[in-house]
Amino acid sequence: MVQSDVDTPNQSVDSVQAIQNWMVNQLVEQLSLDAKNIDVTEPLTRYGLDSIDAVTIVGELEDWLEVELPSTLFWDYPTIEKSAQYLVEEFDVSAALDNAESAAPSETKAAKPEASEKSGKGWGGFWKGLGG
Amino acid sequence: MHQLKQYQIAEALERDLGDPGHPESTMSFKRVMELDESEEFPEAEVDWLYNWKLQDYYVPENCGGKFSSFEEFVAFVRVMSRRDQTIAIAFTTMFWSFLTWMAGTDDQKKKLSQFIREEKGTMCLAYSERAHGSDLIGGDVTAKKVEGGYLLNGEKWPINRATRSGVTFVLAKTDEEEGARCLSLFMVDKRQLDPSTYYNLPKILTHGIRASDMSGIGFKDCFIPEEMRLQDEGSGLELALKGFQITRMLCAAFSHGAADTAMRTTLNFAINRVIYNKTVFDIPQPRQTLVDAFIDMLVCDCETIGAARGFHIIPEQFSVWAAVVKYFVTIKLEEVINSVYVVLGSRFYMRDEHDYGIFQKLLRDNSIISMFDGSSVVNLHALILQFRQIAKYRSRRKQKTMEGIQSRLDTIFSLEKSVPPFEPEKLGLFGRGADDVLQGLEIAWEQLQALKTEADVDADVLEKIISLTTIVLEELDAFDERIANSGFEHGHDQDPELFELAKKYCDLHAAAASVHTWIYNRTILDDFFSKGEWLVLGLYRRLRPWRSLPNLVPKAYSENVAQHLLKLHQENKMFSIVPIQLAQTETQEEKPHASAELQLQA
Repeated sequence: MVQSDVDTPNQSVDSVQAIQNWMVNQLVEQLSLDAKNIDVTEPLTRYGLDSIDAVTIVGELEDWLEVELPSTLFWDYPTIEKSAQYLVEEFDVSAALDNAESAAPSETKAAKPEASEKSGKGWGGFWKGLGG
Repeated sequence: MHQLKQYQIAEALERDLGDPGHPESTMSFKRVMELDESEEFPEAEVDWLYNWKLQDYYVPENCGGKFSSFEEFVAFVRVMSRRDQTIAIAFTTMFWSFLTWMAGTDDQKKKLSQFIREEKGTMCLAYSERAHGSDLIGGDVTAKKVEGGYLLNGEKWPINRATRSGVTFVLAKTDEEEGARCLSLFMVDKRQLDPSTYYNLPKILTHGIRASDMSGIGFKDCFIPEEMRLQDEGSGLELALKGFQITRMLCAAFSHGAADTAMRTTLNFAINRVIYNKTVFDIPQPRQTLVDAFIDMLVCDCETIGAARGFHIIPEQFSVWAAVVKYFVTIKLEEVINSVYVVLGSRFYMRDEHDYGIFQKLLRDNSIISMFDGSSVVNLHALILQFRQIAKYRSRRKQKTMEGIQSRLDTIFSLEKSVPPFEPEKLGLFGRGADDVLQGLEIAWEQLQALKTEADVDADVLEKIISLTTIVLEELDAFDERIANSGFEHGHDQDPELFELAKKYCDLHAAAASVHTWIYNRTILDDFFSKGEWLVLGLYRRLRPWRSLPNLVPKAYSENVAQHLLKLHQENKMFSIVPIQLAQTETQEEKPHASAELQLQA
């Protein structure tokens, strides 16, 4: 979990981990996969996401991190690990991560609506159940 | 000449081509039927268009040409298409040059501009392959890096103008690993190739556009120099998808031209044919069929013309708008053609009777438009993937967002305002959920309320427009809620129900585009347009499939539309919100063949 209120030397490592966790949960939620079967070093296309899905999923990530990202993010960084590293290096994601509860990889689907309501600013509960 | 200057080229081309009903005109119905029967490429007609210098309007001004706006472009493509879609499509494969205008180096642009303008050059798009349908990444054509360039291998098929084009835009794999970056795009100039390393595939016999050069091209260790590659290796898919945003919107122009002729030739019959002591036009059922078809044509006009102008103002939103236009306009105008042929009766099926048998030809030709450059399913799927972002964007709008939308809508929809130059580098693979047309509908609703104090607005008409706009807003809210509460899947196994929802989104979009068009042009276009009865009917028809509506459309509205339809037919004007003057037979007889220069000055 991210120690959001303390500036530790491990913060960027934690941020990468938090983003990876979030993305794993996206895949779990939207592709009905088991988190155990997702390897962050495998290309996303292996999980059934095609090139256009990889463009549209950037929008979900933008909403969560509150930054504007290149739409070809997952084309150029096709694994969860690589894209998370790139995001932490190139964008200021700390504020968003401080506010958002990152989901641990082992988190079950049942726990997700709560997390999504917290991060889904401006939706007033309208967007619940969609995970992100 | 039309007072809106962006329609003057279309009117000039109209006049110089002459009345298509007159057998001696260039691209007359008689002539294009002969071409269709012989299945021979329309060599002389394409050459006539080059001599007229129409190709200059395919090259942007900053690349040495005369292209200044998509609105103007759409208007003159309609003029060609109303005569013959085969020729219009053959000539307009040239608009693939936009890939170079978008992504080329200065040298590449200069070379292509010269090829088009001075050498009567044309091009084609070699994306599709026999075994892979819409799956571009699944293709088998490869470009292997060698010193100084690449070796191309594989076949592209079916390709319009594959054999005759001098430049072929080829999408090929530069990376064996399948992925979004595995493709690169090449502007292959055949003149620079060793002829023994490429070959053309035989002409394909097709259902419509039979005089087309529909064929294919194959490569065998064909060396192409490095400077033929557009942008970096791996950018092929990105360029392909952005290029489609341009061409999908422009495809609507072909459909508009065909629909105009379908309506015109049907009216030629319906106002003269007497049955049960009345003309067909005077019998209520066929009259209503024609009125409904005309209303749909006007709504499509609002969607197409708005989009053509929108390209110059919000190119970053066209991952949504181009998909809406390509689905909605092409399919709706197919429906228009199918509905009016019932009025024309069995003549629609004849290859020589009634206006040289043009109806059955346009019916065949037109049926490819909704299929090529991305089928209806491809476009609806593209929308489905963006719905979550679209709905989220709408729920987050703030005062500042609305002010931005209002200012943009004003420039997009006011036809008398000039548009800024097109900036293709601003096209985006996804629009982050922005769709000004529907997301600005509350602004339009407020503007409609404000019109209540205007003396020149009919109160009954306005009240009905407001009621129907309110329903569009209610349906949009319901749409957003449905999306927010539905499951979401990536990939191609989407629920068929979502495709129905996407069709509904397109109907709501066209309704909104019509309302905006009316608001901003009420005092600019003609009295028929200003009065707004057509808009009431148009909104009613867009909502009826989705909602049980009270019968609030007076018979008088339909009757007034019927009278206007007759008037446009009698005055020989285009069935459009911008009813440009069409070529008259008399003019043709007075001035049979002006030289190219004289035609341009006219």
